[in-house]
Amino acid sequence: MHVGIPQIVAYGGGGFSLERESSLLDDYVLSLTGCDRPRVCFLPTASGDADHYIVRFYRRFAPSCEASHVSLFRRDQGTGGVEDHLERHLLAQDLLYVGGGNMVSMIGAWRAHGLDEVLRKAWRRGIVLCGPSAGSLCWFEDALSAFHGAPRIVRGLGFLPYSNCVHYDAEPARRVEYHRFVADGMLPGFAVEDGVALHFRDTALTRVVTSRPDGCAYRVESSAGGVEETRLEVSYLGAPSHRLGVSVAA
Amino acid sequence: MSEPVIFTMGGGGFTMEPSNPLLDDYVLSLASSPRPRILFLPTASGDTQPQMRAFQERFDCRACIPEPLSLFRLRDSRRPLHETLLAQDIIYVGGGSMRNMLAIWRAHDLDALLIEAWRRGIVLAGLSAGAMCWFQGGLTRSSGPPEPIAGLGLLDGSLTVHADGEPERLPVWLRCVREGSLPGGWALDDGVGLLFRGTRLVRAVSSRPGAGAERVDAIAGELVRQRLAVELLGAGEQPGASAEEEAIRELRQVRALRSGIPLDDL
Repeated sequence: MHVGIPQIVAYGGGGFSLERESSLLDDYVLSLTGCDRPRVCFLPTASGDADHYIVRFYRRFAPSCEASHVSLFRRDQGTGGVEDHLERHLLAQDLLYVGGGNMVSMIGAWRAHGLDEVLRKAWRRGIVLCGPSAGSLCWFEDALSAFHGAPRIVRGLGFLPYSNCVHYDAEPARRVEYHRFVADGMLPGFAVEDGVALHFRDTALTRVVTSRPDGCAYRVESSAGGVEETRLEVSYLGAPSHRLGVSVAA
Repeated sequence: MSEPVIFTMGGGGFTMEPSNPLLDDYVLSLASSPRPRILFLPTASGDTQPQMRAFQERFDCRACIPEPLSLFRLRDSRRPLHETLLAQDIIYVGGGSMRNMLAIWRAHDLDALLIEAWRRGIVLAGLSAGAMCWFQGGLTRSSGPPEPIAGLGLLDGSLTVHADGEPERLPVWLRCVREGSLPGGWALDDGVGLLFRGTRLVRAVSSRPGAGAERVDAIAGELVRQRLAVELLGAGEQPGASAEEEAIRELRQVRALRSGIPLDDL
């Protein structure tokens, strides 16, 4: 059985779904599994199990991994997904990759199939969890969502006791909204741009990595004067030392 | 405020009968407006593109204002859900995973909004998962084998769908009704729709000759089964040629399912 330190790599956006050529973030999470040919299972729930997303996952991971996916919308059809025992299958993986989309819909569907508890078990056992966008927000206590209406706080699974705001560079309004919510008492947390990922060991942030030379992430917390935003130190994964696999301490 | 209306289909409409618009035209006729606003909720399918496209293809050319609502796709989603829903004349719910659909609706508080819409007289229509969800219970294959599942409970009793198209459902539903894990209710073939005004069944209609429906109750541990009288819609005006096309399409679907090709790819 897999036992290790709980690890989550939360992408602000990016990975195989967005970055056609570079998926340095994906290479990074694969390296965390410590396996030559890791077992990687994709959870595309937040996209409604979109076929094009599943196809792109296999294109990216099937050559170097034991790749599979779990579809919660096609369980009656037996279409290449996992059919027999969801929990057994998920707990036998080295990496669980959660796709982007709508987090509220995803967590709703997960709960209906008991996946929230399975994921907690997987995390505790040291199966690496990762994902972009909704696949990042879901691991946190609070997330900022602007889906169908004004921005509001939505609850994630709460493995990481912080708030999270993704695609921080994509929409200028995000920063203003996130700051306002943190000032109003939302948990302090992390704002992350596309192409940047937060690596947590247990619940501590140990490293911030980026697939783009200019990618940024921030710690955002309330302070006496309102909200304080601190730029985090980021390791660029495209630098030659990383390409050669030399590790750089955080 | 008008009387609540629900129209539940055992299967049929634009997602299953692309060349037979009888049930969908009937749905439009239930609204009091001559050009009703009709909202499609494809949640149970995961908001698949083929369902959304089929909806647009069916309703774009008809006297109505069609709009799909995705709970997954993020584009064009700044409008609050309650505004979108309560502005409609008709809300049409698609088929797929009933378990996922209800859980996702609850996560967005959409279940309460749908009940409010029903109370206000907005016509609620749907097929398969989108038909069973209005009852106390239904029979779902959301996790693989057919099993009972609770619905929103606006209508008394339980419903099972695709009684002819997916024959593995009916025996499981009958057993559930006999054993009491589901209340008595209706079994609908593909193409059959039941119209409820308030909580009262007022009409059974069909888009296909020969499609039927039955009412089933457990009385002292025995099943009492009664066929309903079903009116064929558009009788006399429907071209017979499309029946063969439908049969060919269904055959392809069955073959695809057996060989593991997702329906979306057809």
